[in-house]
Amino acid sequence: MSTTQRHKNRRVVERETAYRQYKTDVQSRGKPFYPWAMFHDTVMSLVVVSVIIALACIWYFTSGQDPEDVGWLGPRYAEAADPGTINFVPRPDWYFYFLFYLLRIFKWPDSVILGTVGIPTILMMLLFALPFLDVRRERRLIRRPVAATALLLTAVSMGVLTYKGATAEEATAANQETLDAVMKDNNLPDSTKEGLTLFFQSGCTSCHTYSGQGSANAGAPDLTDIGSQEGKDAAYFKRYVANPREFGNNVMPVFAGLGDENLQKLADFLEASKGEGGAG
Amino acid sequence: MAVPVRTKTRRRQQLEQAMLYPLDWVEERSGLVGGIKYFLFRKVPGDISWGHTLGSASLTAFLVQAITGAILAMYYKPDPATAYESIERITNDLTLGWLVRGMHRWGASVFIILMFFHMARVFLYGAYKYPRELNWIIGALILILGMFEGFTGYLLPWDQTAYWATIVGVNLQGTGPVVGPFLINVLNGGAEIGVDTLSRFYAIHMLLLPGAIFALIGLHLWLVIRLGVTSPPWSPDAAGAGEPDGDGRRPARSGLVRGSRGASE
Repeated sequence: MSTTQRHKNRRVVERETAYRQYKTDVQSRGKPFYPWAMFHDTVMSLVVVSVIIALACIWYFTSGQDPEDVGWLGPRYAEAADPGTINFVPRPDWYFYFLFYLLRIFKWPDSVILGTVGIPTILMMLLFALPFLDVRRERRLIRRPVAATALLLTAVSMGVLTYKGATAEEATAANQETLDAVMKDNNLPDSTKEGLTLFFQSGCTSCHTYSGQGSANAGAPDLTDIGSQEGKDAAYFKRYVANPREFGNNVMPVFAGLGDENLQKLADFLEASKGEGGAG
Repeated sequence: MAVPVRTKTRRRQQLEQAMLYPLDWVEERSGLVGGIKYFLFRKVPGDISWGHTLGSASLTAFLVQAITGAILAMYYKPDPATAYESIERITNDLTLGWLVRGMHRWGASVFIILMFFHMARVFLYGAYKYPRELNWIIGALILILGMFEGFTGYLLPWDQTAYWATIVGVNLQGTGPVVGPFLINVLNGGAEIGVDTLSRFYAIHMLLLPGAIFALIGLHLWLVIRLGVTSPPWSPDAAGAGEPDGDGRRPARSGLVRGSRGASE
């Protein structure tokens, strides 16, 4: 042992000794990678490629040309991108569902940053720091209670959030009956009817809820009584919807594309929204 | 050894030399042949099994993505006016185009799942511990870059799902303090999704990220070969297993005469 070795603490000496022992054991008792381990790897790789081909076939042969014909694994493609209309929930690929659902828990604007940046950053830092947080040599899970608990909690919470994200209710296209009921429940004046229709057809309900309709996504607030908030009138709403960036909202899409006339109708509708049973 | 020693004729010796000459030529100039021999015939712990195939399975899934991705790139047009049409053409008109696109689409999910399984296996076995900490970090980087591949690839079909999911996805990243607005500009090529966004996502998806992932996988594999893979911790035969806090040597157990296992194989 060199002189520097003497100053190392016991844990460091131990793990170095153990690793030397590992190298010796592998040399004396190990098996050659080829063909032994390579056989397992090859079989597994063939399984992986087969599964991918099978998924591609199931996806293609059970779905149809029409975007509505979703088959077992989803449609071949949705309608071509149209910046003018959103008519369904902006839904990410399944492995982002846990983040997507996390955003339903936090509400704009107070705590949404926790869901978008805070929690993912903390998770990523923990991921990178893991080998430095857990420095014991013990590898048997049964003697690593903290690690075992963390593994279980991570797996369960990711699983639950992914499941919840996958089954999250989507905003369904509102029919006239629903619109009439919303008008009545909220004592909305007839002049806001066009604005209300626009609200339900331009994709607002993909993220916002209104009078129990729509689905809450990306931390967007409920707008049923948004008009009763102080200082928020039609002019304010018009400017906000046209360019949410101006108000520090970087999440909501810019809706300037709806045009001046439509924006005015939407803004009038929002101003008249005083909540269910409100004065109207 | 009961194998009879066969003397080679002079002619045969010359033939063998001529055939091996290219290999010798490469070996002399690069050392590659020796490297591949080392890779193939290096010893691995005798008790590793199917759990240890998840890493190479992830690699296979990534290679499927690389190959199908290269084929798709020959026909895909990263332009808002023609992207959707080019996807339709790949799916409907090209021979087996649907298969290549389907494999790329579903291969992405398989790649991500396998990386998560691989990571869970490494965690379960405590294989991220000394001296493999750096390889855990490289693996985590590959996972994150792989998920960004998923995010950038999702926009490329340029359909409604892709378009609106990406707007929200980019905007959410923009809520980050300090770097948020900067990130939005970098990803979109402007404040909003516009004409440059699609080609930007395409370049990130097929050049920047795969290049980085290839490099990191190379580093990852190099460290695996250099450091060796860990035995399952519960294995009675685990290589290098000593009692924790002991002297680093495993206690004597029955059937563990050094070398006995290797000889019986």
